[in-house]
Formats: sequence, C-alpha cells, structure tokens
Amino acid sequence: MKKLLCSILLCLVSMPLFAGVVVIVHPSNSDTIDQKAIENIYLGKTKTFPGGAPAVPVNLDSAVPLRETFDSKVLGKSSSQLKSYWSQKVFTGKGTPPKEVTSGAEMIKLVSSNPNIIGYIDSSEANDSVKVVAEF
Amino acid sequence: MKHKLLFSLCSLLLATSAQAEVNISGFASVVAGRVIDGTGVAEFDLGPTFLADYPLVGAYDEDISFKPDTLFGIQFSADLLEGLSATAQVVSRGADDFSADFEWAYLSYEINEHWTVQGGKKRLPLYYYSDFFDVGYAYPWIRPPADNYTWQIFNYTGVSALYNYLIGEWTMSGQVYYGSEDSDPNKLLSDFFFLENTREVWKDIGGIVVQLNRDWLDIRLTHMQYTNERYIGGVQQEWNGNKQRTGKFYGLSVNIDYNNFLFLSELNRLDLDGSNLDTYLVTLGYRIKSVMPYVSYSDFNDGEGGEVHHTTSAGIRWDFHPSAAFKIQYDDVKDDGGPGMKVAGDSQSISLGVDLVF
Repeated sequence: MKKLLCSILLCLVSMPLFAGVVVIVHPSNSDTIDQKAIENIYLGKTKTFPGGAPAVPVNLDSAVPLRETFDSKVLGKSSSQLKSYWSQKVFTGKGTPPKEVTSGAEMIKLVSSNPNIIGYIDSSEANDSVKVVAEF
Repeated sequence: MKHKLLFSLCSLLLATSAQAEVNISGFASVVAGRVIDGTGVAEFDLGPTFLADYPLVGAYDEDISFKPDTLFGIQFSADLLEGLSATAQVVSRGADDFSADFEWAYLSYEINEHWTVQGGKKRLPLYYYSDFFDVGYAYPWIRPPADNYTWQIFNYTGVSALYNYLIGEWTMSGQVYYGSEDSDPNKLLSDFFFLENTREVWKDIGGIVVQLNRDWLDIRLTHMQYTNERYIGGVQQEWNGNKQRTGKFYGLSVNIDYNNFLFLSELNRLDLDGSNLDTYLVTLGYRIKSVMPYVSYSDFNDGEGGEVHHTTSAGIRWDFHPSAAFKIQYDDVKDDGGPGMKVAGDSQSISLGVDLVF
C-alpha cells in the first residue's frame, strides 16, 4: 500500500510540467536503457545496447540549447568537460565523439529509420515513429 | 622533404575522400611567458631559465617569449569503412621553430567492439599525459608538469593493440605496444645536456597500459621496457663497459573528478640499469562554474647528489568559450641538483595563454 502511494507520488512529481529531454530509440528496440547505459553509450565506453545490439549515439549540435541540458542532466558533465574528454580520445586515436545533427526533426528521422541509433529530443517533439526510453 | 611528404599525404587523403569520409580536427595553444627571477646555472654559463618542455627544449628566459609552449596541430582521419581508418597528425611547435612535423601517421583497424590494432608512428604512451601532451585543452595546466615529462624520446614507430571493456560499473581500457625509435639528432640531449650531436636509440620498446575507470575515479597502471644505445659526436657510449642498457618504467596514476573537486596524481619510476629515476606529481583543482583554480607540485629525483628538482605551481583555467580555455600559471622551480647535475637552476615564472580545439 505504501509502495503504491509512493509510486503515485513519484508519478505526480515526475509529471513533466515543463519540457524535458527524452531519450529515443527505434520502436523495434526492446532493451531496457537506463541512465547508466545512456551515459556509457554517449561516452564511448560501450558500443552496444544492454541487449548486445550495436548502438550508435547521435548528438544535437552544440548550438542547440537542448544539447547542454542533455550534457548536464543526463551525462552529468558540462559541455566543456565533455569537449575536453573527447579531445583526449580523438587526438590519441582512442575514439570519436557521436555524430551531430542540427535539429530534433533530423534526430527523429534518423532514429526512426535505424534500429541501432539512439538520440534525444525535447519531450514536446516526441511522436509515434520513435520510442521514448527515458525522460529527464 | 617534410613539406613534400605532408603535401602528398594531404593529397592522398583528399583523393580518397571520394570513397571515404575525411575528418579534419585540430588543436592549438598560444602561450606567452617569461622568467621573473632565476639563478641560472653559473657552471654552465646559463642565465635565468625555466625549462618548460624538456623533450623539445622549450625554455623561457627573462624576455617575454611565445615560443616554448605555442603550438598548432591538425589531424586528418580518413574512415575507410569496415573498421579501417588512416590518421595523420601534423604538429608545428614554437619550441621547434614552427617546423611542421608528423607526430602521428598510422593505420587503425577495429577488430571487434573491444579490440583495435594500430600500426605506424605514434606518441609513446609513457606517462598519463604523454599521448595528448600537445592538447592543452584536455588538461588543467599550461603544460603537463615539466619535472615529470622529461623524457628525450616521445614518439615510436611500431604496433599497438587497444582494448576497451565494460565490466559492471567499471571500464577497463588500455593498450599493449611494441616498437622502436631512432632520434638523430636528439634535441634534448644534443642542445641541452651534451651540447654535441647526440643520437639516441630506443630499441625493443614494449609496454602495457591498464586503465580502470568508474564514475569519478580513474586509475592507470603502466609498465614499459626498452634497450638504450647512445652516440655522442658519432662515438657510441658505454655504460659500465656495455654498449646497451635496459630501462624499465613503472607508472601509477590516480585521478579523481568528484563534483567540482579535481585531484590528479602520478607516481613513476624509471629503473635504468639499476639506478632509479623517480618522479611524481599532485594537482588539486576546484571548479567554480567555468573557472578552475588549481595548485600543483611535481618532483624529479634520481638520488642524492644527482638530478633533483621540483616545481610548485598555481594557476587558473577559465573555459570562456565552448572550444577554448584561457589559462594563467605561476611556476616556482627549485633545482637541487648535485655538482654538474643541475638542469636550469631555480626560477620563478609566469605564463598565460589560450588552448583551443576544433
């Protein structure tokens, strides 16, 4: 009973009163993808989804304000910390940062057309062509 | 010759771009500095000097100079698909009179999601910051603490295998490598230590790097071994009657990046035929939004009466732009070397500049 009450309260609390970031994948992707998994994929620590399928992360261009929200809320780092992290990888041949797109519409188009791609958009932009796996 | 090579490589990369995607990225540091006060070394007739970059003899004196730490680098990377890529990095350094040199030129093949093999010319991944020594944007200081980064050999030609595994909450990554380097003339030994044309050969360089990472904790362990031959003025050197000597390097690095608190450390030992050259560094930083003040201490010691020096530094890094950082740093060097073993004497210096990546 207490648990139920807690869940209801949690639902209410997490109800999006303002637009947040939603992480999206192809509708056929049935993996459970939590924040840690998203972080591992976006930081290049793994190249697969938890279920083992190849994962290709896509970022929004740094000129899009939602990028900074994603960096700080989901990855827990500032954009310049991440830039520093990736410059170390790129110039030592140890990895390349995720490819970038310039809009949510472009992101939805990519994610809805390829089961390996993972992306994020503003929660108000989500539609049926993609599956929301996490909301921040 | 170098430019010809550069042009042919560029045209090769451009020619392949019809089939392959070529990424061009780069980094730059524009730094000015000067010695405020220093003793120099009377026995070498050396005036007040701050040796900021040992391998390339990037040294400041009492006049403002941009040369020791200023550099520009461009990286071309051609993705040839199916896991194969070709990368070349050209770096032009003030300490080297801005001649453009290939630091990297290698092929890379991704065997699977965990392993990548690379062959060609790369930076020797000896210390924590060795293989991105030139990318100032990637670390807090103006340059990695000079007392630790003193090695005359910083590139090698050979093969390496890079790995990356996710084990529960931990990431385990690193590499194993094998190669050699023939540096003729070697800049540090020729221009600074022996004042005579010196050829430095490192053969059978073999090493392993293991890096463990979890959230805010990063631990790096490394071991490297090499065989050294040296020719000063064309004459092969002997050590205790031997034409070769063996160097064994051990390194441990523990870094913590917890909330706004940054702790960086390195502890290294080079066992060169039984004599130990020990180095360590400790840096503390605290991030206040885009500004990070830091303090640092680094030390080199190869025994009483030998080469002994340490540096205390304080500075500020300010990320004023998404791709650029402004830095200002004060360095206080104490040179406690024994007779004939001093490097550049005591010095207090100031340097400031901008690091960027693109």
